[in-house]
Amino acid sequence: MGTDQAHPNPHGLRQRKGTTPQLAGRYPDWNVLDEQEHWDETTRRVVLSRLHDVPELTFFDEREAATLTAFCDVLLAQDEEPRIPVLAYIDEKLAGGVGDGWQYYDLPGDGEVWRIVARGLDDEAQRNAFDSFADASLELQASIVHRFGQGELHGRAWESVNVARAFKVVIRYACQAFYSHPWAWTEIGFGGPAYPRGYGAFGAPHMGERESWEGEESFHVDPVKDTQERGIE
Amino acid sequence: MTPSLLNKGSFAMPKDNDSPFLLDKHKRGLQNLDRMARYRDDDVVDLVVVGAGAGGGVLAQRLARKGWQVVVLEKGPFWDPDRDWVSDEKGAGQAGLYWTDNRIISGNDPIEMGKNNSGQGVGGSMTHFAGYTPRLHPSDFEVKTRDGVGADWPISYPELKESFERVERELPVAGEDWPWGDPHTYPHSPHPVSGAAYVAWEGARRYGIEMRVGPVAITNGVFGNRPHCIYRGFCLEGCKVNAKASPLITHFPDAIEFGCEIRAGCMVTRVEIDDATGRASGVAYMRDGEEHFQRADAVAVCGYAIETPRLLLNSACPRHPSGLGNNADLVGRYVMVQGATQVAARFQDLLRMYKAPPPEVSSEQFYETDEARGFARGFSIQTISPLPIGWAEHVAAEGHWGQSMREYMRDYNHWSVLGILAEFLPQAENRVTLGEEKDQNGMPVPHFNYNRCANDKAIVDFARGVLMEIWDGAGAEDTLTIDRYAHLVGGARMGFSPDDSVVDSSQRVWGIENLFVVDGSVLPTQGSANPALAIMALADRCASLLDRKAADK
Repeated sequence: MGTDQAHPNPHGLRQRKGTTPQLAGRYPDWNVLDEQEHWDETTRRVVLSRLHDVPELTFFDEREAATLTAFCDVLLAQDEEPRIPVLAYIDEKLAGGVGDGWQYYDLPGDGEVWRIVARGLDDEAQRNAFDSFADASLELQASIVHRFGQGELHGRAWESVNVARAFKVVIRYACQAFYSHPWAWTEIGFGGPAYPRGYGAFGAPHMGERESWEGEESFHVDPVKDTQERGIE
Repeated sequence: MTPSLLNKGSFAMPKDNDSPFLLDKHKRGLQNLDRMARYRDDDVVDLVVVGAGAGGGVLAQRLARKGWQVVVLEKGPFWDPDRDWVSDEKGAGQAGLYWTDNRIISGNDPIEMGKNNSGQGVGGSMTHFAGYTPRLHPSDFEVKTRDGVGADWPISYPELKESFERVERELPVAGEDWPWGDPHTYPHSPHPVSGAAYVAWEGARRYGIEMRVGPVAITNGVFGNRPHCIYRGFCLEGCKVNAKASPLITHFPDAIEFGCEIRAGCMVTRVEIDDATGRASGVAYMRDGEEHFQRADAVAVCGYAIETPRLLLNSACPRHPSGLGNNADLVGRYVMVQGATQVAARFQDLLRMYKAPPPEVSSEQFYETDEARGFARGFSIQTISPLPIGWAEHVAAEGHWGQSMREYMRDYNHWSVLGILAEFLPQAENRVTLGEEKDQNGMPVPHFNYNRCANDKAIVDFARGVLMEIWDGAGAEDTLTIDRYAHLVGGARMGFSPDDSVVDSSQRVWGIENLFVVDGSVLPTQGSANPALAIMALADRCASLLDRKAADK
């Protein structure tokens, strides 16, 4: 199957095996978690704890949490259940106080960046007569996130930071939280942890070659053309 | 060295390093820790090494073998890969592989740090480097003479050649016969190539660019008690197989047999200079919140391009009020990164780039200056295969989020990624300084400022076009580009006189006879090569010089 035919909406296909975020994906009969008996014990402990022990929020207060949960939903297009609880992992990392090892000279520490973003998103919603970003319409939320990504939010909370760089910080945290979750691995057909089993079928020179246990893709579309056609690029 | 040592299939194990045999076939951690020497802070050891990475590891092993009492102080943990490392991107960070203490970045081109270029723990950042170990070219040592830019080294390629060869045998390096720079062969044969790398290789061939498999410091065959690579693709997360080289397994097992102590969890905050003699007398370090002082007859700073300048500057004393080796205001200057723009390409085929090591096939066809291109020096081309979080960062860098990011991510298995390493030139204002803020040990937080010069930008612009042509030749449907940077060298450059450099050609700090810098910070220029092999080769050479001078130490 390829791009020459009318592409199915990825949301039209429901995951049949395991769980993916919003049950979206291209590998409906693949579940990376089915492979866990082949993972080494240390890795299995780390990955399964991520899945089963969702940390309580301790860094963000209630208002920040509501705003940022809505923000992360828009940022990662988690518009329905099942959702990966990304804010819980972000909160856990910020509460731990260990960042990624750098800070831009025109930004405060990562935790403070997140708090400023929460305030700034609420400021934008209030300008449009909503009490908080979480209460705003999906359309308004998307427009605020779009302007955030472009560095085009100004005034009040945003005055104290380089807005475009603040966006880089928060999207980095959000991507790390989302794509470290095994549900997302199943969604994208990633093989997951691979020790001690490793890989034998690399795909060269026989393209499309796969391990007997790897998932089969049911359809694919070129995201460059697809996102342009759907107007979501 | 006899020629037969370099023949594939008749590969002789290194004679002066038993590390591969001191490991266990079925356990990854070091097996001789129970007999590691322990020295007291009061013992005046022959050498204290600051930092257990590429430079410090080789230096410690070489000198321990010659009978020196060596203590290595390392800020991070002493790893046991079975116990500490995971097949997981996020888990690698949580395990503590990356240097996450804060650094303030600025300039027109601020350089992101952490997992990208900074490690901690025994083995240094080689525990999470991709594995590429190309040699520098002979031209790298005389850039100023040839091109009128950058700097010349006080040593030449032939002076480092044997060190390159020795280290390549110890890692060991796998790859095809290498036609670029000083043509050479590698001890291990080239690894099989993944689908993702294969499409890039084919595209390059069609465009008239030669790429070759390797060179990577990853076993392609059993090496002592180190197993063959299993192609699981998690090189950047710490190799759980003991197939990818780092000093943790390539040099410290042997160093321990010869009386070297590696003391983990120790952050060195000052090098002490005896005011009466002018010699280094040891180092102050923090361990579990308490300050200690290790006495030593010589000190080697091996903390890399940020921490080495930071330590030298923070060690200011009455004899050296602006920091050690800093009389000419050169400490922390001429830090370099490489332009590491990546272009990803989409194919109909399922490539599954998570399989096999990310470093596979590379080219140095554009390494040397070609005046027709309108800039000095050049770049190399390498395959890179990000795992999902890395791929998400790539997608986000082009401005995608929401549905569009999810859509690109769902297409992960259809993409392959090529990267460049562009030789950025050394500039005085690209520098590390001490900030006002203090870290948990009371040490000033380092600031790192970076601006690209016109030549740097011209190389990247040209190289980006070459990657596009390769993908065009490969029949890619679409591409995605991310401009980024990789590696760190410089900051305590090696030179000809105290007026142009921090250390002399034997890596001794000018004016302090028993203080050495043995890491990537001494590089005057960097070429388009990943720096690990050059750092190790320099440490090998430095150790041989020190050995000869042992009588007057």
